[in-house]
Amino acid sequence: MNRIRLFQAVFLLLLGFGGWSQVTVTPNDVKDERDRAYAFTNATIMVDASTKLENATLLIKDGKVIQTGVGLAPPVGYNVIDLEGKYIYPSFIDLATNYGLPEVKRPRGGFGGAEQMFTKTKGAYSPNEALKSHYNAGEEFTGNSKSADMMRKIGFGAVLTSRPDGLARGTGAFVTLGNNDNIDVIAERASASYSFDKGTSRQLYPASKMGFISLLRQTYLDASWYQQFNPRPFKDQSLEGWIASQGLPQIFDAGGWIDVLRADKIGDEFGVQYIIKSSGNSYQRIDEIKRSGAALIVPVNYPDAFDVEDPLDAENVTLEDMKHWELASYNLGRLESAGVTFAITSAGLVKKNEFLGNVRKAVNNGLSKTAALRALTETPARLVRMNGQVGSLKPGMIANFIITSGDLFEDKTAIHENWVQGNPNRYKPLEAADNAGSYDLTVNGTTYKMEVSGKPGSQKAKIIVNDSTSIDIKGKFSKDLVTMSFPEEVKSKENIRLSGWTNDDGWKGTGQLVDGSWIEWTATQTGDPEAKEERKKKGDDSDEEIGDVVFPFMAYGNKELPSQETLLIRNGTVWTNEAEGIVEETDVLVKDGKIAGVGKGLSDPAARVIDGTGKHLTNGIIDEHTHIAGGGNDRATNSSMVRIGDQVNSEDMNIYRSLAGGVTAAQVLHGSANPVGGQSALIKLRWGAAPEDLKIKGAAEHIKFALGENVKRSRAPSSIRFPQTRMGVEQVYVDGFTNAVEYEKEWNAYNNLPRKSKPSAKKPRRDLVHEAMLEIVNGERFITCHSYVQSEINMLMKVADQFDFTVNTFTHILEGYKVADKMREHGVGASTFSDWWNYKWEVRYAIPYNAAIMHNEGVLTAINSDDANSGRRLNQEAAKSVKYGGMAREDIWKMVTLNPAKMLHLEDQMGSIKVGKDADLVLWTDDPLSVYAKVEKTIIDGTIYFDAEQDQEARAAVQAERARLIQKMRGVKKSGGRTQKGGSWIELEFHCDMVHGHEAFDTENR
Amino acid sequence: MKKFIYTLLIAFISGSVFGQVPVPVGEQQGPIMLIGGVAHLGNGQVIQNSAIGFDSGKITQVADASGNVNTDGFTVIRIDGKHVYPGFILPNSQVGLQEVSSIRAMSDNSEEGDFNPSVRSLISYNTDSEYIATFRYNGVLLAESTPTSGRISGTSSVMEMEGWNWEDAAHTVDMGMHVNWPSKMNRRFDFATFSVKTEPNKNYDKQVVELESYFKDAQSYAEAPSKTTNLKLEAMQGLFDGSKTLFLHAGGAKEIVESVKLAQDNNVQKIVVVASGSALMVASFLKDNNIGVIIPPTHRLPERQHSDVYGPYKLPKQLFDAGLTVGLSHSGMLGHARNLPFFAGTAVAYGLDKEEALKMITSNTAKLLGIDDRVGTLEVGKDATLFVSEGDALDMRTNIISHAFISGKQVTLYNKQQELYERYSRKYGHID
Repeated sequence: MNRIRLFQAVFLLLLGFGGWSQVTVTPNDVKDERDRAYAFTNATIMVDASTKLENATLLIKDGKVIQTGVGLAPPVGYNVIDLEGKYIYPSFIDLATNYGLPEVKRPRGGFGGAEQMFTKTKGAYSPNEALKSHYNAGEEFTGNSKSADMMRKIGFGAVLTSRPDGLARGTGAFVTLGNNDNIDVIAERASASYSFDKGTSRQLYPASKMGFISLLRQTYLDASWYQQFNPRPFKDQSLEGWIASQGLPQIFDAGGWIDVLRADKIGDEFGVQYIIKSSGNSYQRIDEIKRSGAALIVPVNYPDAFDVEDPLDAENVTLEDMKHWELASYNLGRLESAGVTFAITSAGLVKKNEFLGNVRKAVNNGLSKTAALRALTETPARLVRMNGQVGSLKPGMIANFIITSGDLFEDKTAIHENWVQGNPNRYKPLEAADNAGSYDLTVNGTTYKMEVSGKPGSQKAKIIVNDSTSIDIKGKFSKDLVTMSFPEEVKSKENIRLSGWTNDDGWKGTGQLVDGSWIEWTATQTGDPEAKEERKKKGDDSDEEIGDVVFPFMAYGNKELPSQETLLIRNGTVWTNEAEGIVEETDVLVKDGKIAGVGKGLSDPAARVIDGTGKHLTNGIIDEHTHIAGGGNDRATNSSMVRIGDQVNSEDMNIYRSLAGGVTAAQVLHGSANPVGGQSALIKLRWGAAPEDLKIKGAAEHIKFALGENVKRSRAPSSIRFPQTRMGVEQVYVDGFTNAVEYEKEWNAYNNLPRKSKPSAKKPRRDLVHEAMLEIVNGERFITCHSYVQSEINMLMKVADQFDFTVNTFTHILEGYKVADKMREHGVGASTFSDWWNYKWEVRYAIPYNAAIMHNEGVLTAINSDDANSGRRLNQEAAKSVKYGGMAREDIWKMVTLNPAKMLHLEDQMGSIKVGKDADLVLWTDDPLSVYAKVEKTIIDGTIYFDAEQDQEARAAVQAERARLIQKMRGVKKSGGRTQKGGSWIELEFHCDMVHGHEAFDTENR
Repeated sequence: MKKFIYTLLIAFISGSVFGQVPVPVGEQQGPIMLIGGVAHLGNGQVIQNSAIGFDSGKITQVADASGNVNTDGFTVIRIDGKHVYPGFILPNSQVGLQEVSSIRAMSDNSEEGDFNPSVRSLISYNTDSEYIATFRYNGVLLAESTPTSGRISGTSSVMEMEGWNWEDAAHTVDMGMHVNWPSKMNRRFDFATFSVKTEPNKNYDKQVVELESYFKDAQSYAEAPSKTTNLKLEAMQGLFDGSKTLFLHAGGAKEIVESVKLAQDNNVQKIVVVASGSALMVASFLKDNNIGVIIPPTHRLPERQHSDVYGPYKLPKQLFDAGLTVGLSHSGMLGHARNLPFFAGTAVAYGLDKEEALKMITSNTAKLLGIDDRVGTLEVGKDATLFVSEGDALDMRTNIISHAFISGKQVTLYNKQQELYERYSRKYGHID
């Protein structure tokens, strides 16, 4: 009999473990103190991720590591456990759990209803309910044996636990996964956490990512102001908690790569380097992630394949989701190659038992074993400064380790035991019986040839009838006992049932025949098992074909970003927007991203020549008013502090679609839910560039204001938010600017203090709302104001006069024609819709002649889009001013190019075809004001971002890539893998009138 | 000022008062002949130098003006260099039912309940709607006024864009029944991520069975020897005798197939599908079954991220190539419905022949609405519902309409919007 003989340690009762170290407990029996000293011998020990000891010994005592080493003799008094063939690893550490904390129940509820303006948290806490920095997980922590066991089973020994509620979540506790809370809490306050999820708060502000960011920024400022005072000017436990936890490791639960970058940016401003929990798609922008310098906490919850059997249903799945399905398990490997520091978390896994399998998948797909182990042990320990206690098996460390059947990252390796603080948790017996071999099974005088095969612990037996026929035996084989049943003949349904025990040469026992009679039986081993070649591992997909990462990570993304070229567009009809007007048969030379020449017969040997014969070359369209690429709403009455720039989204299909409509630059605006919206982002549509690279460097600062029905919540009958009338709207402005001016005085007074008295003086509180409002008054920030009826238009100009600044632009401005003379006098620009009207009461008198009248009156006039649909046909929208108002072609064209450039204060670099200006150009097949004109090329800074021919090729490539991935996904279903039904999550397009969100379904009610 | 070439239209105004819609005009007084224009007949043919005559509301002559044209008794209007078109037809619209969409009191298009076949748009149609005159101004002279929402939203009628009251404006009464076919996929909204996900609609089969029994009940109702009057089932009867067209609003390709099959199995005589890109996926099914398609505004975004970036613009041509009868329509912000001609223009930019594109807003639509015996082309005997444009009416640069006739009545083009334009242009001294 081929059996491994292992010396098994004395049986340890789990009962009463914790009590030993806790001297304050009075026992309820006779004192039972033991040394808990163990020697694990003959094992392969990973002392840490990079130190491997073969045939080594681990000594632990009283829950601590005493020593590891090769050739260590177990000291006297140690229980010796022989682990020949086994591996020991430090157990894993998960930094993203809420283990042992009560579940966070989110309030449910529909849209609408009265807004919650103030916090509902009782007590001396933050006025904003989303700030829960007063919370300490350590105070509420209660170990939970069920979830602890679930985590231990997959290798974890310690976790950081924090409550996932709020933008500031308070402190997290570091605990081991034992069974005694007094022992398990290693650090009651181990971290402070933050997120982009306001959790249970239903308070109106903040409601958007930019709002979350603003509130966090303001809180940093508030904390530093509040901290100056002793005693405090008032009590705010949330600020106290915030201040007290700043010295701890700061963890930000962000999300996808774009949110990782956003979180990191907040930290940069306040000198904090967050450890950032990501969603596992960082490979999509690995360079930017690397550059952030943040250490990541990375999940391995790879998405399921979609059910794509039906070609029509499969259309609902985006290419992004398909590609991510394929590449998700490559994420960790790519983070390693890029040199990013990361820890692995089990967070997000619905089935925790898939954890190890998924880590192994990452190891198959480029992650080194060393890096994997480090990310499970040392790195998380170090990130939360617990590396003196956990994460390795150096002397003095907490004895948290797992015993595995082999190399942890090999497919079949099992975790036998998981020791937490020197106490064992057993999941798979160390000593599995190995009964493999050939036997003569004799039952009631009949002898069968029996074969037992397979790995110890999961062995199977069968009766060999002849070369091609065998009968499977249902059986259970343990070290000492055996149970078997099998049919008497191949096809019979009734089974002989045997029960027995091992003896020196096999098995012996009693059993019952089919007829119920009791018999004796024996099985005598006659030979060793045949050596079998191991089959190629399933799931080893290191040589499979995988797709490229494209930018953006979606359909029509580029493998490599297009590059700047020297271009000579010859012989086209050029709409210069300069004194020359529209000139025919003219060349335009583009060099280093700028217009280098306009004229006839130009040449440049380095230039790629594009024939413009019969075509029209214009400036790129500039959309003064869009919400693509990251637009959104916050909902405070005055949200001047929120910045669209904080949430610019490069992964928006509408960027590409707009390029295909000749748009090259745009102002991405806040929505119109509030009188003072948020700060704009000015972008160029550099398809594929990262969010920060879309922004126009050095552009003037702008802000969205809004008037009328949206801000007074006309379609929310139960709204209680001030203002509810146009009268109130004026008050919001006067109040806002008045406060800003006084704010400036306060700061001036402080800044002008004599040098001597300044250090002892308290700094005034910085207020992001006042600062933005003040920038407006001081002419450093320009208003684009959503506006409709003449009364309110007039009002805002008067408010501006009162504070001695000029309103920059009225946008939509559908009744601008009624006060065009006043607008001209004030010097405000007008960016309007072409022919929109009557979708709400305040636009009843909108007329398509609005642009023409304002233009004729000398108002700087533009045509804008608001939605991505009209945004990609702005040439046509402008062209309607031929029909409605008979404007001259050049003047019309300027309404979507030069005039918006002027409104955005970009006219020095954009808006006309002039030497030295940005080479933002569009080549059209026809007069761009014609409905028949199509875009042939869209060029930004001398780089071709859209090309009609390449678009066709890209479409074919998208189709091919989808087809490949669909076939691959089908494979999953065929082989019995899990698939998900339905389609992808698609982010909805935002537009101006989305105040609540449900309007997304309600596009009719613009 | 010469810019205002259409101020001559003011000639047609008789005391238009701001805030009121233009005054309806009386019946055609004497025969009229339009001579010298490029006539786009709406059936694919073009007469470069045309003579289009009409009398008592009907077209009496469609000829080449280069030959001898007898103009005796006709009031001749020279339209040299201009273009003449059959009036554009807007199907599946809420015109007359909905005014300011954000105000509940101003919407009459959506009745309570799932099954409302007997509900009729006709009697709710408001001839004082301010949209009507703006439609005419761009050449849209006929529209189907259509109820929305519910499973069976009700009965539609084709209206002329002119009239004192709905009886006056009615062109073809109670010609359509609109069914909103359930979707196999539901959309789930997540506020936090501002995203939607399509998921299988678990109630789909139930909803289809419900519709099927409705059609079956309607048929057995007709055959039942004695019965209590059921207004709803009465209203369904026109579908089985061919006096009403069934408009199946179906989102997905499979839904199109299932809805058409159900209608056919239940002896519906005339079927039209209202669908978008999904129709292309089952184009051969539609062709085999001789089903025409009304497609939503093509000035919209592609359906999916991976769709052809110009997909909606190309759709009319693709459906045409597949051999289908296609009509263009508008949905959403009603004020934009006047851009119907430019949807056709865009289809031309993306490959469709200009006269074929024109059909999609004239004769094809007439066929789909079952009114092609009276309108949709410039042919002798048809309604004199037509207009004259300074240039190509499918291009916004040249869609400048000088004359429009509805059943021979020369209608007023000037409306509130022109009035306001002039009022303020005068205020600022831009015009005298």
